[in-house]
Parts: sequence; C-alpha cells; structure tokens
Amino acid sequence: MVLIIGGAYQGKLRYARKEYPEIGWVDGRECGEEDLYVCQGIHHFHAYIERMMREGRCVDDLAGRISLRNPEVVIISDEIGYGIVPVDPFEREYREMTGRICTELAADAKKVCRVVCGIGTVIKG
Amino acid sequence: MIHMVTGGSGSGKSAYAEDWLLKRQKENPCTQYGKEYKENKLPLLYIATMIPYGEEAKKKIERHHQLRAGKGFSTIERYTDLKGLEIPANSGILLECVSNLAANEFYCEDGTMKERKETLDRIIEGIQHLSRETCCFTIVTNEVHSDINGYSPETEKYRELLGMVNQRIAELADRVTEVVYGIPVCIKSDEQSME
Repeated sequence: MVLIIGGAYQGKLRYARKEYPEIGWVDGRECGEEDLYVCQGIHHFHAYIERMMREGRCVDDLAGRISLRNPEVVIISDEIGYGIVPVDPFEREYREMTGRICTELAADAKKVCRVVCGIGTVIKG
Repeated sequence: MIHMVTGGSGSGKSAYAEDWLLKRQKENPCTQYGKEYKENKLPLLYIATMIPYGEEAKKKIERHHQLRAGKGFSTIERYTDLKGLEIPANSGILLECVSNLAANEFYCEDGTMKERKETLDRIIEGIQHLSRETCCFTIVTNEVHSDINGYSPETEKYRELLGMVNQRIAELADRVTEVVYGIPVCIKSDEQSME
C-alpha cells in the first residue's frame, strides 16, 4: 500500500498520476465500499470517510479492511487536522477519525508521500 | 534564482526568509550589477502586500518592520498588480506574502470575487516580472490547507486559488522550503532542479 497525503489543493492527484501512470482511480466522493477493495487507486479518501460517517456507517475498522483486502492500493487523502478544533460536533468527529484511519494506513503502508505545493516528499519507505 | 518559503502562521517563515536572503547575498554576490553591487550598495527590496487595514494588520506590519530593522531592506508597499511595478536596481527581493497578494487580487472591494484563472495568471505574471528584475528572489507564502473548519464557499474558493498559486510558484522555484516552528525543511533544492 502507498499513502499520499497533504493539504487540500496541493496537487496530490497530479503527483500520484505522474508516479503511478498505469493505474486507474476511483473517487472517494462517489465510490462504493466494494470499490475500495478492488480499485488500484482512490483519491479524496477523506471524503469517503466523511460520506460514510454522515450516513451513520461504522468506519472504525476501515483501515484494517483495506489493508487486508487491497494491500497494493494507492490511497490519496487530505490532511485535515492541523487547524483549530471545529465548533461543529460532526466536523470534530470526522476530523479526528480521518486522522486515526490515516495513521493506521500509514503504519501498514510500505511508502508514504507528503505533497506540499505540488512537490512530493517521501516520509516513509 | 527563486526560493519559495512556506509554512503555517507563526512558524518563523518570515525571519527564516529574511536571514536566508541576507546570507545568500553575502555568500553569493551576483555580478549582474558590476562593481556597485560588489560593494553592497544596492538595497535588498522588501515588497509588502498586506493592506494596513485596522489595528491588527497595523500591529502585524509593525512586528515585521522591527524584524527587518537594521537588515538593510528598502520597503515597497504594493497590494496588487506586481506586473506593473517598476523595480529599482537591487541585490535581492523578498516578497511577503503571497496569501495577502492572492486575497487582494481575488476579492473586489464590494466583496465579490474575480475570475479564478485570470487571477491566477495575473499573480504568476507579476511574480515572473519580479524574478526577471533581480538575481535572488525569495517569496514567502502561507500554508492554509491542512484543516477543515466549516469554511464558507468564498473562503474555500480562496483556499483553492492559493493552492494553485503555490503550486505554480513551486514549479518556477529553484528551491522550496517549508518552515516548521523555525526549522527549515527542504521540499525542493537547487540540485533537484538541475536534473
């Protein structure tokens, strides 16, 4: 597994497409759960977590399930936990959960890249 | 050469950018302006983009003034249209800060926003104009993209614009440094850009 992270609008997908030109992508804003286990790459992964949480579905074990069923996947997620804790309770929970899930994914990933201003730096692997 | 410096607010990126430019000027004096430059007579230019609107902005500007005091910078206040700015002979330019510049260029006085692509191009053209007028150009920008906080659609559009501006500048830059609580972390170096 490869994890590509960074703030919003940093060019993460463009970077990933350059690094992995051969793979197909699903979009976390619209894909279903089954897609996570069969896709080669997923972007907007944080948006998938948000959607599932808004629908009241359990995401506690999401990282474990992906690692087990799709160990070669490339995952792109926004980093969303750097600012002030949001006032909105849902945003607080979603933000925290995204951090936890990505931390688990990073532990399982053979490589983690962080993209700043379009430039990727390998921080693990 | 272009060196872009990014980081969160209060990360020490301004102080780092100033010191880096001073050090660079001493160690690598360019010969673009001949003898006059070698004797260090040409000033470093500081281009300030923050509009001094309200007490908080004034305080912030004053803090930056003190930070720069005695370092030999000559300050030019310019809030928009860098492309139209006439640049005096200099031994280096520090532009601070792209996040203010982007806001100034993006929002009209009535609060509406201009077209994104045009705004992006206008900002980049301004930056390219400055880079042609100096041997060492340091650009300070801001990292505002790593959280969520119920942003309004207008703010979200601004975040997107700034993200795009930063990516374009990083492409042009020879060096990109992220300052994390005063520690410079290299994102892109001269060596890589030589490849």
